[in-house]
Amino acid sequence: MTRMALEISDLRLSFEGITETTEVLHGISLSVAPEERVALVGESGSGKSVTARAVLGLLQSQKRVRMSGRIEFEGQDLAAMTSRQRQALRGSRLSMIFQDPVSSLNPVYRIQTQFHEVLKRDDPSISLEDAKRRIRPMLSEVSIAEPDRVLESFPFQLSGGMNQRVMIAMALINEPSLLIADEPGTALDVTVQDQTLRLMRRLVERRRAAVLFISHNLGIVREFSDRIYVIHTGRIVEEGPTDAVFANPGHPYTRALLAAVPRITGGDIPEIDENPSAYEAPRVVHAPAAGVA
Amino acid sequence: MTRTVRIILSSPLSITGVLLIGFVVLSAVFADLVTPFPEHSGTVVDFAKLNQPPQWPNIMGTDLVGRDLFSRIIFAYRISLVLGVVVLVLAVPTGVTIGLVAGYLGGWPRFVLMRTTDVFLSIPPLVLAMSIMGVLEPTLMNGMIAVTVMWWPWYSRLVYNIVLAEREEGYVLAAEIIGASRLHIMFREILPNCFPAIITKMTLDLGFVILIASSLSFLGLGVQPPTPDLGSMVAEGAKYLPDSWWLTVFPGLAILIAVFGFNLLGDALRDILGNEQ
Repeated sequence: MTRMALEISDLRLSFEGITETTEVLHGISLSVAPEERVALVGESGSGKSVTARAVLGLLQSQKRVRMSGRIEFEGQDLAAMTSRQRQALRGSRLSMIFQDPVSSLNPVYRIQTQFHEVLKRDDPSISLEDAKRRIRPMLSEVSIAEPDRVLESFPFQLSGGMNQRVMIAMALINEPSLLIADEPGTALDVTVQDQTLRLMRRLVERRRAAVLFISHNLGIVREFSDRIYVIHTGRIVEEGPTDAVFANPGHPYTRALLAAVPRITGGDIPEIDENPSAYEAPRVVHAPAAGVA
Repeated sequence: MTRTVRIILSSPLSITGVLLIGFVVLSAVFADLVTPFPEHSGTVVDFAKLNQPPQWPNIMGTDLVGRDLFSRIIFAYRISLVLGVVVLVLAVPTGVTIGLVAGYLGGWPRFVLMRTTDVFLSIPPLVLAMSIMGVLEPTLMNGMIAVTVMWWPWYSRLVYNIVLAEREEGYVLAAEIIGASRLHIMFREILPNCFPAIITKMTLDLGFVILIASSLSFLGLGVQPPTPDLGSMVAEGAKYLPDSWWLTVFPGLAILIAVFGFNLLGDALRDILGNEQ
C-alpha cells in the first residue's frame, strides 16, 4: 500500500471551558492518498475547519485544547514532531487556501513582498529578482495576464477573484504535497468561484498535489473531488467515491444534505431537523470504485 | 503625495497646523539666524534694557535682566522640540513593543505587561513625573526620563487594542500557517498595520509632551536657568503680573501655538493615513 499524504485516525478533540469541556470531534478517521482530491463536507459547526487546523498543527499548542488520536503526514506522526519541525513542514510541504482571499493577504505589503516571503520558506537566501522570475510563470498559470502589475500592487488594489488566484499561486508555488482548502472562494461570487475552482483543479493536477477540500457546498464538491467524507457534529457519517455517494447516499444526514441543495427551479429550502436521532445512524462506507486502490 | 497635499489644502485647519508647525520647527532649527539676539539664550545681562515692554528691536519686550524675550522663546522651542522628540523616541518603541507582545501572545505575558501598564496609567501623569523629578536632579536629561516613564503606557494601550483586532485577520493566520515565527508575525505582519495610528498619536503627543514639560518647569522641576524654557519663563513672569504682562503672555502664547499646531497637524495626519485604503 502506498504511503498516504494524510492519514487521520480516531482524532478526538475537545475545548476545555471553565466549568465543562465541549467535545468537538468524536473520533474522526480519514485519509488522503497522494494526488487525490478529497472533500470534507458538512454544515457549519460540524467540525470541518477544526479538523483542518488540527492537521496544520495550529491547535496543539493551545492550552484549552485536549486532543487524542493520530495525524500522520506522509507517514510521520505530527504529534511526535517538535513544533519547529511542524513549522518547517507548513508552507513548504503543507499549504493552505482560505475562505476570504482579501483578508488573507497583509494590506500593507505589495504582492511581490508577500510572495517573496513564501518563497523564502523554501530557500531562505532567494533574492527578490529570482523570486519574481519564479513567480511570473506561476501567475500566468493562474490566468493573471499582467504579472508585473499584480506584483507591484497592494491586495486592496486587486479584485477578490484576483486575490484568490494570487492566494492559489502562493499556496502552490513551493510544490506542497498536500493542500488544504478551507471553503475557498466562499467570499466570492458564484461565477468567479467556479472559475477559480477550475483553475485550482488544473493546477493541483499539474503539480501532483493532494487536496483536502473543506466545504459545505455539495455542488462544488461534486465537481472537484474524487472522494467525499460527510461530517456531522464531529463524526464522519458517510464516506466513499464522489459518484457513489451522490448516486446512492446511504446515511440519512447525507440525504438531508443533498435535499437541501438549492435548486434553480425554485421551491423552498427543505427543513433539516437540528438533531434527529436518525443522524446518529452508523457510518456508511461505500466501496472504492474499481481500479482505485 | 499629491493626495496628501490635496487633503491638507482642502481643510483650513490642516493648513493652519502645517503653517504653525512649519514656523515652530524652522525657527527652532535656525534659531541662531532668525533671532535678533541669539546670545541672549544664555547668561547675558543688559542693565540698559531691564524689563522693557514690547518695542523695536525687542518685539516681545525684555525680561528682568534685559534679555530679548523673542530670542529666548525661539531658543526655548528648540529645547522643547528636542525634549519632545527624545521622549517619543524612548517611549514609543517601549510602549509599542509591550503592547504588541501582550496583544499577540496573550496569556501570562499579557497579564504581566498590561497590568504593569495599568499601574503606570493609574498614577496621575504630572504627579508621577513630579515625583521622579523630585527624587532626581532637575536637569533636561532627567526631565526627559520622567516624561518618558509616564508616556509609554499610552502607547502600549493603543497598540494592544489594535493588535487584538488585527490578530484575528486572515493574513495573521496565513502567516502562522506558512510557518512564520512569532517575532516575524508581530513585527513584520501586525506592526506595519499599526503605524497609521502610532504616527498620528505621536504627532498629537509632541504638543502634549511640550505642555507637560512646560508644566514641570513651571513648577520648578524642569530645565533650570539660564537655559530658556517656556514653562519656567511663564512661572517667573507670573510674579510680575499684571504690570509686566509680556513676561507671561508671550511664552504662554508660544506654548499655545506649539500645542495647537501639533494637534491640528495630528488631525490632518489622521485623515491622510486613515483613509489610505
